[in-house]
Amino acid sequence: MTDFLQQVVAGLSSGSIYALLALGIVIIYRSTGVVNFAQGEMATFTTFIAWTLVDHGVGYWGAFGLTILIALAGGFLLERIVVRPVEGKPVINGVILTIGLFILFGGLSNWIWKAEVRSFPPSRPFPTSAWNLGGVAVSKQDAGILAVTLVLMVLLWLLFRYTKLGLALRASALNPTASRLVGIRVGWMLGLGWGLAAAIGAVAGLFTAAAAPPLDPNMMRPVLIYAFAAAVVGGLESPIGAVVGGLVIGVVLNLISTYDTHLHLDLDRVRLPLALALILIVLLARPTGLFGRQVVRRV
Amino acid sequence: MPRFFLIATAALLVLGIPVAFGGTTSDPGITSTSIHIGGTAPLTGVAQGFRSVAEGANAYFKYVNARGGVNGRKINYEYEDDQYIPSETVRATRDLVENKDVFAIFNSLGTEQNEAIRPYLNQKQVPQLFVATGGTEFGRDYKQYPWTIAYQPTYISEGTMYGTYIRRTMPRAKIAVLYQNDSYGNDLIAGLQRGLGARKGNIVSKVGYSATDDNVQSEIAQLRASKAGILMLFATPKFVIQAYQYVNGLGWKPKIFNNAVSSASNVMVLSSSRGQNKRVEGSISIVFLKDPNDPKWKRDPAVLLYRKIMKRYNRNGNIKDVYNLYGMSAAFTFVDALKHAGKSPTRASLMRAATHLSERNNPFVLPGMTIRTAANDHYPMDQARLQRWHNGRWISFGGLLKARSQ
Amino acid sequence: MSRLAVARTIAAALAFAASIAFILIAPHWDKVGDIKGAQMGTYFIAIVGLNIVTGYTGQISLAQGAFMAIGGYTTAFLVTHGVRDLWTIPVAALVAGVFGFLLGIPALRLSGLYLALVTFGLAVAMPDLIAWDKLSSVTKGGQSIQLFGSKHLLGQGFNDVTVLGHTTSFNRAVYYLTWAIALVLFLVAWLLLRGGPGRAFRAVRDSEVAAASSGVHIAAHKTLAFAIGAAYAGVAGSLLVIAVAFADPQSFPAKLSLTILVGAVIAGLGSMWGVLLGAAFVEFLPVVSVHISKSQGVPDAIYGAALILIVLLLPAGVAGLLKRAASPLTTRLYTRS
Repeated sequence: MTDFLQQVVAGLSSGSIYALLALGIVIIYRSTGVVNFAQGEMATFTTFIAWTLVDHGVGYWGAFGLTILIALAGGFLLERIVVRPVEGKPVINGVILTIGLFILFGGLSNWIWKAEVRSFPPSRPFPTSAWNLGGVAVSKQDAGILAVTLVLMVLLWLLFRYTKLGLALRASALNPTASRLVGIRVGWMLGLGWGLAAAIGAVAGLFTAAAAPPLDPNMMRPVLIYAFAAAVVGGLESPIGAVVGGLVIGVVLNLISTYDTHLHLDLDRVRLPLALALILIVLLARPTGLFGRQVVRRV
Repeated sequence: MPRFFLIATAALLVLGIPVAFGGTTSDPGITSTSIHIGGTAPLTGVAQGFRSVAEGANAYFKYVNARGGVNGRKINYEYEDDQYIPSETVRATRDLVENKDVFAIFNSLGTEQNEAIRPYLNQKQVPQLFVATGGTEFGRDYKQYPWTIAYQPTYISEGTMYGTYIRRTMPRAKIAVLYQNDSYGNDLIAGLQRGLGARKGNIVSKVGYSATDDNVQSEIAQLRASKAGILMLFATPKFVIQAYQYVNGLGWKPKIFNNAVSSASNVMVLSSSRGQNKRVEGSISIVFLKDPNDPKWKRDPAVLLYRKIMKRYNRNGNIKDVYNLYGMSAAFTFVDALKHAGKSPTRASLMRAATHLSERNNPFVLPGMTIRTAANDHYPMDQARLQRWHNGRWISFGGLLKARSQ
Repeated sequence: MSRLAVARTIAAALAFAASIAFILIAPHWDKVGDIKGAQMGTYFIAIVGLNIVTGYTGQISLAQGAFMAIGGYTTAFLVTHGVRDLWTIPVAALVAGVFGFLLGIPALRLSGLYLALVTFGLAVAMPDLIAWDKLSSVTKGGQSIQLFGSKHLLGQGFNDVTVLGHTTSFNRAVYYLTWAIALVLFLVAWLLLRGGPGRAFRAVRDSEVAAASSGVHIAAHKTLAFAIGAAYAGVAGSLLVIAVAFADPQSFPAKLSLTILVGAVIAGLGSMWGVLLGAAFVEFLPVVSVHISKSQGVPDAIYGAALILIVLLLPAGVAGLLKRAASPLTTRLYTRS
């Protein structure tokens, strides 16, 4: 039983990262209608910025905060300059653009910081020790990451649902013209969506570097598909769905690989295909994801 | 009649003089002033951290060239990016051999990558020298592939050293293994089992991971559930660093064996989280090169030479990256073989020299190590020492071990 | 025929002739050569296939590389079991096409972005799927399949090949084989797309509702498009494996699918005019970038930046550019006729 729970704990830990990345993807989709293939690479890039700050003497938490602000501004500018032209255009344009950003940011990270192995943070943000709950070790760091993820999820949900800003964000995405007529600064809202997502991405990157070291330019590549799976499974429009999706995927994949000895299917070797199968199964049952809204089109 | 002899003599002289004085030979890629060799390495992509194997070798060749080269020939080492994808390795290697006319292929990196080009190079009788991988097959299959020769100690021999050591010192301990799910990981396990001999039943848990995985948290948790007292880390640096962290986080205190690919000092220091993670203490690995980060070699002439060459010919490289030094060692051995290939080397004479090495003066390998090959021994290196991580550095112990390479 | 149609036919013929000239010259130009030229040919075929699925039928597929893997492994499997390599190519097309059709069925329920993400997932998961032990009787698990030296392979993978009295090197023979097939497949696609099926595909893309009301069977055409696109990819994958005489999971990474998609977008989705240039772009931009700087990451940064610029400035790709460049002429023709 403790082994089972330990796998669940490990799954929640990996899943928190998937959830954070998926949150960013959902925010961007909800506010600008684009799926950001570059979410992982942008997260890596901003994490390296944080590393550079710390390398130049800034304290970890100061760098953390500063990086989030930089990401906010960077995401905002990125949307205004590069992404705006493809919003409202055919879906394929946004896909190619964000794939281009994916390749560009990956290249920049490699070029500026090279592929050396680095650890970040240099000393932990959270303590390294773990609680022992009946034989199950729960790392304080992992618990902290999960807590932050859940808090962010709730904050974003509240933002979209109950605040004027959230309303403005949703309105700008749904009907920019009408929103302008009502006085909403649509351009700012669109940019803010990307800014928020970039900031969340920065948090995801910083946590990944701490929870799944080392910090290197390719660190988010294996994670991206799980984040997509989480976003899709949860429904591309739902922050709660993204987080639930991420945690569920993390746990389910762990459990399958651990307990497949009874099935003799060597499922521990096919984590990625399993994630894909999960996406397919969920989407076939509910084409807009578990928490997504059913879209009804008038003919 | 006399005219005929005159012409014949003139013809003989014209043809004979270049041959007699060691000018161009009939193999491509070699002239009287240069020799053009090629290879592939992952300059981009998932394994780009290993590109320094090629860069270090290149720097060493530049150093040798600045001193006049070998027998008056400068070595032109052209290495191409294969992104660690074997079909790219094939394309790039064919291009090097058929379009760029290289004399030999040297120091190509990767097990599957070298396997992909091995039959082709042997068919074309192009030397496949000193492959940058510990795969066993490159020395084992010399009868079928005589133009191929290995370099570093094989993964099987490394695993055997660990197994033998455990059998002798901890014969009752239970063993858990984290391994990468490919021939590299499987070879290390095979060696471990061979070294353990009758004790191989002590391996109570083997959990594999895929190089495309994001983390090995689940795997380490599974291994811990086996309650083993020894943990073998047959994984690449990224996953080794993670493994140390997760082992620590779980409160598990096994004795840890780390494989040579991931044992560079900078990786160990990272894994120790600047001293906070005590699980690295007492880790055991093998070593066959002088790690430039190891304080004991700080004033060693080889490491000083290494630093000099890096500074002069590979400024952008990371001087802490031991794979640069690996590359230099391989380049040193190549130069050694080339020197013994005669004044007008051919591919055959170079291959002959490479399979008759008796190199005692390679500065980059451990003192006392001999790099030796024979027609039926295509394993240049089969020696190593065990080392233990203590207080932030590796300390070698025991003597030079020799292990069977296959 | 109207003057516009005449002009278009002349332009098409010229473009075709120029392409043939390029194909004949390319192997002798050392910047291209047989090997890169053949790879460009495989990209060409895969791009045409993707264009059918995504450009003409409007279904975003990021899985073209995965279908190349299926085609490639079909060839590898058959050659090791005694089938002559050339005969494996149509089989590879068929097998890949069947899998394409199978993917097309669930794709019916998925809209744009979700389909993109699912197909991306397939592309990412394919190498691990190939390496799965349970499939190892077919794929040899994670180990590679070496075809070099097989007597069922053209020239056993290295020897000179003699065809119709002409002898050429293996690389050259593969090059011509690839491009001959590419041309045939291009013509087949062109005929298909200007005929009934093509009109149906476009109708499905532009408005499913209108298409359905006009009697077009949506599901049949959507899955058919997937099948055809996958079949093309299967041929491309098969030729790739023949060219390197080797098959392994890492030869078909997710990046390959992205490359084909990029090529199709550069070429111009929904049009066949720019495919050659699209294939050239994805084959040679990385090569050119490496010449600019061998530093880590710079080639990728250039590639990414180029991609972004093209999407922003030339969203209709090369085909769109050609149309715009020709528009002064065509408008005049149009208004005069």
